[in-house]
Amino acid sequence: MAILVDETSRVLVQGITGGAGKYHTERMVAYGTKVVAGTSPGKGGERVGSVPVFDTVAEAVAETRADTSVIFLPAPGVLDGALEAIRARMRLVVIVTEHIPIHDMLRIREEAVAHGTTVLGGNTAGILSPGKANLGIMPEIAFTPGRVGTVSRSGSLTYYVADTLTRAGYGQTTSVGLGGDPVLGSTFAEVLAAFESDAATKAVVMVGEIGGVYEELAATGIRAMSKPVVAMIGGVFAPRGKRMGHAGAIVEGEMGTAASKLEALAAGGAHVAKTFREIPEILGRLGV
Amino acid sequence: MRLFEHEAKTLLARSRINVPEGGLARTPAEARVHAERLGREVVVKAQILRGGRGKAGGIRFAKSPADAEREAASLLGATLLDLPVESVLVEPRLAIAREFYLGVTIDRARYKVVVLASGEGGVEIEEVARATPANIRRLEVSITGDVQPHEGVRLGKEIGVPGKNLRDFGAAVAALHRLFRATDAKLVEVNPFALDEAGRLVAADARMNLDEDAFFRHPELTAMGLDARHEEGDLTEREKTARELGIPYVDLDGDVGMFPGGAGFGIMGNDFIQYFGGRPSNFMDSGGGPTPERLAAMLGLLEENPRVRAIFGARFGGISRCDDFAKGLVLFLKTHGLSKPMALRMTGNMWQEGVAILSEAKSENPALFEKIEFCGIETPIETVCERAVALARGAGSGATAAGKRA
Repeated sequence: MAILVDETSRVLVQGITGGAGKYHTERMVAYGTKVVAGTSPGKGGERVGSVPVFDTVAEAVAETRADTSVIFLPAPGVLDGALEAIRARMRLVVIVTEHIPIHDMLRIREEAVAHGTTVLGGNTAGILSPGKANLGIMPEIAFTPGRVGTVSRSGSLTYYVADTLTRAGYGQTTSVGLGGDPVLGSTFAEVLAAFESDAATKAVVMVGEIGGVYEELAATGIRAMSKPVVAMIGGVFAPRGKRMGHAGAIVEGEMGTAASKLEALAAGGAHVAKTFREIPEILGRLGV
Repeated sequence: MRLFEHEAKTLLARSRINVPEGGLARTPAEARVHAERLGREVVVKAQILRGGRGKAGGIRFAKSPADAEREAASLLGATLLDLPVESVLVEPRLAIAREFYLGVTIDRARYKVVVLASGEGGVEIEEVARATPANIRRLEVSITGDVQPHEGVRLGKEIGVPGKNLRDFGAAVAALHRLFRATDAKLVEVNPFALDEAGRLVAADARMNLDEDAFFRHPELTAMGLDARHEEGDLTEREKTARELGIPYVDLDGDVGMFPGGAGFGIMGNDFIQYFGGRPSNFMDSGGGPTPERLAAMLGLLEENPRVRAIFGARFGGISRCDDFAKGLVLFLKTHGLSKPMALRMTGNMWQEGVAILSEAKSENPALFEKIEFCGIETPIETVCERAVALARGAGSGATAAGKRA
């Protein structure tokens, strides 16, 4: 099993005729992902490889029953593209684009919740269920089917964690990229809950980083889970970064530093790893 | 992107929020002219992008235009909280009877816009949050929602705004929220929102943080020159060069040059180097999908840094592909040459193409690759980190602990 995407997902690529859209569509198809359609206004009727291109998401859905979208649009076009996909009742929308305006992400999240759509990103590497589907830009060499779920804000850290799990023989059920932008379509807590409901997932590795609130907010739910969670946080030695400012700090309290995140996660029952190679050691000790 | 106080006040005034009548001065003589025009006791405020300037001596009072000129002369060109003072704001000195706090920001945990108000203005709002959180009132709004003045009136009553100022306060709350939305702000803050001796509400100080990622739809903000601004204080020469090249880069004090690829591992790789007993010389991130030219420029920053004794290189190709990475590396080796030992791991999207590019260049000129210990996915990244730390400590670069397969 897997979460959010599997071999039955019918995938639509928004921005399929751009450079990144085209290249990664070919990779997704080569992996065996069921890419059924692409969109690019004005290019309806064309094809990218074997994939038919439509002018609108609604037409693509009517023709192909697409239920999952991957967005490779430029940042100024993401609000429009994501709302189009959400209103067309996609189950999942994966936003690879980075530098999306924060106010736009708030709107996207609001409509997604109202329509029951899950959004990953912006600035996500995507989501990959080994042997089933690869949505986004993740390099398949790191992954193999297995029994550990992973969730991270960063693409590169997702690859290193998956690489480590593959090498140690654990493999992955699904690897989820939440994205690196400051406001994200989904939270760690939501993805942990999905892994908790997935019978094939025996443990979860979550990798966070400094800034933001999503790691701390997930910490309180970990103890109630039946599966172990191994947590890593990047930025323990990082130079002090930018802050949102006074009112932002107040809303988020003391959250945001690596120390506060690690403390919250450990207190919540997560097993903390400092380096990737500690992950299989911890899983082994826990009998996973 | 944080705005200067005078810029924030310009935007507040356009939103019809009452701000002091002031003037910006870049020379002492200009400060004197503003003080003469105002014709009363003034305050001379250093314009820097950092809090705490009052305590640091950046706010001066002046009874006469000559005093104003003198105070401006001592502030302009000086360094305050490590930042150069390039301008001062000259305003009438306010006799303040009471101070309130009013701000609009984003609650990322709840995905909402929040208006915050407090009867304890003039102090850092975090202090109020810590000491007396009950004294902060909040109004939560959907990103598509609006704020009407009557909601601001209610907030004002809750924090003790006098009856005769409630109408103005309510209007200011609605206006501040509109400004927040219209400028794609992350924070708009009036602190203190002061009640002056004449019984009027005045934005005595103001702060705004804007979202750079939304500048594409705000020509009116880029016209203020905001797109060229850096808010983290003085940059080192190398950081300036990196900035011009569009590379996120921070100088640190160690000797392991960091060439990691990806923002996430860029941050965590620095942790690893320290866990393994080394010290990074920098933080660096290539950004998504860097060109070979940019990758070569990144290596150049490490090659010319005398502090760097060895380089840790890692590429796990995702949106940034290994073929582009290899082209950038070869471009650098051919045009500059590498004098420092480098432990390098490359894998991910297009890794076969990347290895082929490196192998071909190496067969043409093996000397170019003399300093590079190359490995692929079979070697754990921790091993490569440890090797880079050892190289920085002077371990022989002929050793093959991390393999040599290119």
